[in-house]
Amino acid sequence: MGYETLEKVIELTDSSEALKKRLDSVADVLSHAFSFDQCAIYLYDEDKKIFNLCSLAGDEGGVVVTTYQEREGLPHHALAMDKPVIANMSDADRVVWRGIEDRGMTGFATAAVYPVKDDTSNYGVLYLKNRHRKVLSKRRRKLLDIIALQLSMTIKTQYCISNLTAANAQMRDMQARLIHAEKLVALGEMAATLAHEIKNPLLSIGGFAKRLSRQFNEDAPARLYVDMIAKESIRVEKLLDTILSFSVNKGFELNEEDINNVVNDALAFFEGEFRRVKIKVDRELKPDITPVRVDREQLKLAFSNFFANSMQAMGNGGILTLRTYSDDRWVFVEVTDTGGGIEPDIIRNIFNPFFTTKEDGTGLGLSIAHAIVTNHNGIIEVVNDLGKGVSFIIKLPAALKG
Amino acid sequence: MKKKVLVVDDEEGIRLFYKEELKEEGMDVHAAASGEEALEKLEADKYDLVILDIKLPGIDGIEVLRQIKEKWKTLPVILCTAYHHYKQDFGTWASDAYIVKSSDMKELKDVVKTILNRRN
Repeated sequence: MGYETLEKVIELTDSSEALKKRLDSVADVLSHAFSFDQCAIYLYDEDKKIFNLCSLAGDEGGVVVTTYQEREGLPHHALAMDKPVIANMSDADRVVWRGIEDRGMTGFATAAVYPVKDDTSNYGVLYLKNRHRKVLSKRRRKLLDIIALQLSMTIKTQYCISNLTAANAQMRDMQARLIHAEKLVALGEMAATLAHEIKNPLLSIGGFAKRLSRQFNEDAPARLYVDMIAKESIRVEKLLDTILSFSVNKGFELNEEDINNVVNDALAFFEGEFRRVKIKVDRELKPDITPVRVDREQLKLAFSNFFANSMQAMGNGGILTLRTYSDDRWVFVEVTDTGGGIEPDIIRNIFNPFFTTKEDGTGLGLSIAHAIVTNHNGIIEVVNDLGKGVSFIIKLPAALKG
Repeated sequence: MKKKVLVVDDEEGIRLFYKEELKEEGMDVHAAASGEEALEKLEADKYDLVILDIKLPGIDGIEVLRQIKEKWKTLPVILCTAYHHYKQDFGTWASDAYIVKSSDMKELKDVVKTILNRRN
């Protein structure tokens, strides 16, 4: 025993298996090689500040602690001292060693706890226990030192790979969003030019149709035809206005804003209309909410489109609930209606341009709102309660302090 | 005396449409198809109001507006364009009103009347 054990541990830690599987195998090898009743590997969770049991081999009948608090027991002691702890209890019923209580020691006489760490981070501990008192030779202790070092390198490498994979995925996601945004800008510029070119002749068509209409008697068939021309051209005019109002040439003007003010400003346009169609507005806006860095006008346009959508969904009146709140990362705006919700088979289309279920809808409202929120690095979540209503949860990044 | 209005727009249809509509309101309406033509007409004659498009061939509406406000300081100008967002941009604030073009003439007519009455 010695080099063979070390060789085996290195071979196992170097394999391409998942980290847990590799550590399981190592624990198994160590409990046999050092003839300890129990061999456990704990990993430190930096976010929760606890040690979690990752791998366990040997005597599973004995006491097993699945979680140690950051400042609890022998794991904390070994890491704090930055050296292995070899604890021998005077009798197996005791759980306190040199003033350090460790609930895992119940029924065990000897523990060897090796810190698994490097200069910058604590990764966890290697924890060996025996029911009967056991003496570890200097040579064996040295071997465990090297094994603990090998474990720390293995875990560190794994964490680096995970971080890299996450960073890579984030970068790819950002790149995809950038390409999407660029496409949107190009499309927007084209749409604006086209809309302008169409709008001018359309105004003549619609305008003259109206003038012509006045020259016919109300019951003349020609009056009906001409009115139809006027009506249809107004519909196209509305569509073009929507495209033109969402101008992408203007560029963003980002300022720190209180989202409640932006929501209230957008709502002001709708108040009269809401009263007319019997929509009650419930506002639960969190005072002194974390600020956001946004283009106020664009965001107002986005909220207006959500409100217009809610209004159309609640043709027979209802309740529109507006809620704002925040956490460390996001500022949330919830727009909830009681309009019966969205049919599941169309829900994935609701943000697609030109998709509409309304006879006189342009299909641009929600797609514009979506584009604006996405351009602010925000996210929209849709919570659909079929038969009741729908909630749009708009998440905008909280402005960085300072 | 009829009020004399100059409509500046490169679209023939719109020039005719505005002309007909405003004539019905009892105004003496003239038209120009470009910024250059508009400035020539303003040099040659005295007007009470200009209705000005922004996107024009040659010198654009914003430049025409600048020159008008330089030479004929009190002559009111209504900018009338298909775009909404110019309202915040480029010095359109120098105009007396900003209107988004529509086949519904009500808004434009109301503004025209308000401005002309103010001049009395």
